[in-house]
Amino acid sequence: MVEGPAAGLCWERGMIARSSSTGDYAVLGVSLGLAAVFIYAGFEKIHDPLDFADSIAGFGILPVVFINPFALALPLFEIACGFLLLWPPTRRVGALAIALLSVMFFAALLSALLRGLTLDCGCFGSGAPSRPRMWIELGLNVVLAGGALLIYLRSTMVAPQQPA
Amino acid sequence: MSSVVSLNRLEPGLTGQSSKPIWCVLRDFACVALLAMASLAAGVVMNLLSDRPLPIVYQTTEQRFDADLTTLVTALPFKIAPAATVGLGEFHSAVESKSALILDARPSVFFEQGHVPGALNLARDAFARDYRQLAPLLKSATDKAIIVYCAGGDCHDSRLVANALMSLGFSNVRVFTGGWEEWSKARLPVSAGSGG
Repeated sequence: MVEGPAAGLCWERGMIARSSSTGDYAVLGVSLGLAAVFIYAGFEKIHDPLDFADSIAGFGILPVVFINPFALALPLFEIACGFLLLWPPTRRVGALAIALLSVMFFAALLSALLRGLTLDCGCFGSGAPSRPRMWIELGLNVVLAGGALLIYLRSTMVAPQQPA
Repeated sequence: MSSVVSLNRLEPGLTGQSSKPIWCVLRDFACVALLAMASLAAGVVMNLLSDRPLPIVYQTTEQRFDADLTTLVTALPFKIAPAATVGLGEFHSAVESKSALILDARPSVFFEQGHVPGALNLARDAFARDYRQLAPLLKSATDKAIIVYCAGGDCHDSRLVANALMSLGFSNVRVFTGGWEEWSKARLPVSAGSGG
């Protein structure tokens, strides 16, 4: 393995090692799947930030002053995370970001469900408020967080490359 | 060989992947935080460049509706679309026969002191609040004409309210330009209190 000037960045070292392996198709497949989901979700939200802000407000968690900035930033953050997953050197950061996002979504949905709220979570654009759909999305977030954690942990457990 | 590699040789536990260096994880979190801040900055810029930018502070659907309604009645008088007008005779007969919905556009304090019998208070200065209360009634009586009046003379409240109602889809809206001044001078019947 060639040690470049930026080889001190641990995430790069890990992902370079991964790309040199015989091919971890599972990680690649999960990465592509997560990237597709988050890029799609981001573009669905970015069309109508007002609608997304209404969805966020429905959860009753964020203070009013943070709702609109969050509605403006989150779609771009999701799209960026999706693209980070597509490129091996940045996959690790993208995976961590998506894991954190999924945990946050899970907590918000669970909180709303426990409070008896019936909402449209706005996860994939606007839709009709539905509790069964909220439970499905709760489960989906578990899957997404699991996939992202898998990618992140796999990339951190790669054996270090010995310098020449 | 780069200085980083030298560091690896000296302190393998610091940079080696197999030892799960905490600083690597912290660096990843820092990268995520930077990404979040960059997303926020990009989102704010995109918002500023959009046709309908979001305000900094979120407004509920009701607040936005109120703001829209309030905007409807803050047009400058010279920009008001000319609503059809009625004179005292026609207005009086509409009140007598109850063939039209009569709306008083004056502030509620004046409405309570005295108003045309059967009139409803749709005050210009509290248009959003009053409209929300009266909307079901107004929408259920679309077959009736709506006649709006205010103090009379130079008052613009009746025209502003009529204009706002037309913007909201009410087509048969007219203004009694003589207003309360002409009605009361003619010594016609009056009602008092908050009810019609």
